[in-house]
Amino acid sequence: MFNQGGLSLDQAPPISVVLRFFVTASIFGILLGLFLLSQSLNITLLSSYTTQLIVVHTLSLGVMASFMLGALFQMLPVLAGVVIKTPTTKAMIVHGLLSVGVLVQIFAFGISSNSLLFFLASAYLGSALFYAIYLMLKELVKIETHSSSSKGILLALFSLIVTAIFGIYLLLTEGGFIAGVEFSQIKELHYSFALFGWVSLLIVSVSFQVVEMFYVTPSYPSNITKYLTITILGLLILKTILVLLGYSTTLLTVTIALLFLAYATVTIDRLMQRKRPVADATVWFWLFGMALFILSMTIILIGSLFTISSTLQHLSYVAFIGFALSIVFAMVYKIVPFLTWFHLSNQGYMEAPMMHDVIHPKKAKIHFYIHVTTIMFWILTNKITILGSMLLTISFGWLFYNLIFAIRKYIYTQKHCEKIEWGV
Amino acid sequence: MIISNYLRAEHRECDEIFAAAEKSVIEGNFEQAEKQFLLFSNDTLTHFKKEEEELFPTFEEVTGNTEGPTKIMRYEHEQMRGLIGKMAGALESKDKDAYLSIAESMMILLQQHNMKEEQMLYAMCDRAIPQDKKESIIETMKSIEL
Repeated sequence: MFNQGGLSLDQAPPISVVLRFFVTASIFGILLGLFLLSQSLNITLLSSYTTQLIVVHTLSLGVMASFMLGALFQMLPVLAGVVIKTPTTKAMIVHGLLSVGVLVQIFAFGISSNSLLFFLASAYLGSALFYAIYLMLKELVKIETHSSSSKGILLALFSLIVTAIFGIYLLLTEGGFIAGVEFSQIKELHYSFALFGWVSLLIVSVSFQVVEMFYVTPSYPSNITKYLTITILGLLILKTILVLLGYSTTLLTVTIALLFLAYATVTIDRLMQRKRPVADATVWFWLFGMALFILSMTIILIGSLFTISSTLQHLSYVAFIGFALSIVFAMVYKIVPFLTWFHLSNQGYMEAPMMHDVIHPKKAKIHFYIHVTTIMFWILTNKITILGSMLLTISFGWLFYNLIFAIRKYIYTQKHCEKIEWGV
Repeated sequence: MIISNYLRAEHRECDEIFAAAEKSVIEGNFEQAEKQFLLFSNDTLTHFKKEEEELFPTFEEVTGNTEGPTKIMRYEHEQMRGLIGKMAGALESKDKDAYLSIAESMMILLQQHNMKEEQMLYAMCDRAIPQDKKESIIETMKSIEL
């Protein structure tokens, strides 16, 4: 009679589902740092265009998509009451295809003359993303009464479909399989849907629940929770039509930037009014992330109305990357310690380590300092430097270490601690 | 939506007292923290009792479903009762780090639980239980004490 959705004991997928994505994301982050280091030391001699493609896609797919899909596998049952059955196998398939796809794509960009690599990259990445989206969307569309979060996640996933379709078009053009007459227009739309649609809408949707409930803040204004995500998607669809018809989209970009500016300002305001006094690193990551979102959107706003230098334009991308990474790190430092305790506790280990024993808040704070230094350094230098690359490597390296520490705690408890059967 | 509105408001009240107790612990004011924690645990456990003694049985009666959502919610209540006990222990021994660590798990567990109740179970109750019955169980819930 009733869809019990997330209300089942096995609602939380096994911890391996989430951690495989998070560990891989941090490894891609480390590899990215090392790649940038090799560029700054002139070990790899790639053009700035190729470097840019490799950096953007390692970040957006290797790092961000891995984190976000991993988090979605975990959070959909809670945020939207959606349960993905046999999550371990499905997550393994998505994870495998995505990881191989990212690597193939990097080589495709690096050795741009090999058309087979472009084809393989689109095949792997396309199947990883479309399969993941299919798994999630087919459950999300069944929801009768949507919350602002579940609706927003649905729209973010829709944006990811569009991003992926445009991405495949671009890859196949690069590989020489199709003529790609609309290459530059599709490229612009690909980036718009990826950044404003997929990444931003997902973060916005998750924040509607997480900010209020975990930090005990006043609610977001209902105008924002009800209309923001759907309006942004509507504007992106309108932008697609206008771009393909060759019309100016300045007004649309201005509106999108203004809406996100309003959202980020409200989020900072809510966080500053939080009733929970705990000044843990996750709050700082949220605040820093929102400040960077404001910086990025302000530059985009100015850039739509006036001519700005490419340096300034570049700065808006760095700020956006900093924003997205900040929020992802904030989530990881809540999710991983909680899940480690939660799963061990549910398995009946009375001595299950508490959250602070899994990843102590001090460790998250250290990451916050490294992260702020890294992002500020990149913003101030605004180019690939040895120090900037090293900082990025250290940042992801520290996260990797923290994740491995948590996994080792988990395994240690399972091997050495006494287990009680709950009999539920 | 009267079930949702009534019980959701109680969730928010508990959150606020939880935050107040946590603040006192951070400030090292354990005397104050104890009073606030007592209020939090009292309110939370009363809320659980209201659900377990009134709302859940009515839901089970109306839907004929005793193995579904209410069973899970009861299980999660038990988990949280355990954590409340641990928090009390940490407070008694004035162990700030232990308290904050357990409080963090408690908060996430509580919020996950609240989300599920607010988005699913309460909505189901509001849809399935007849209006007059809803009004009468709210009246009964108001009178329940620990």
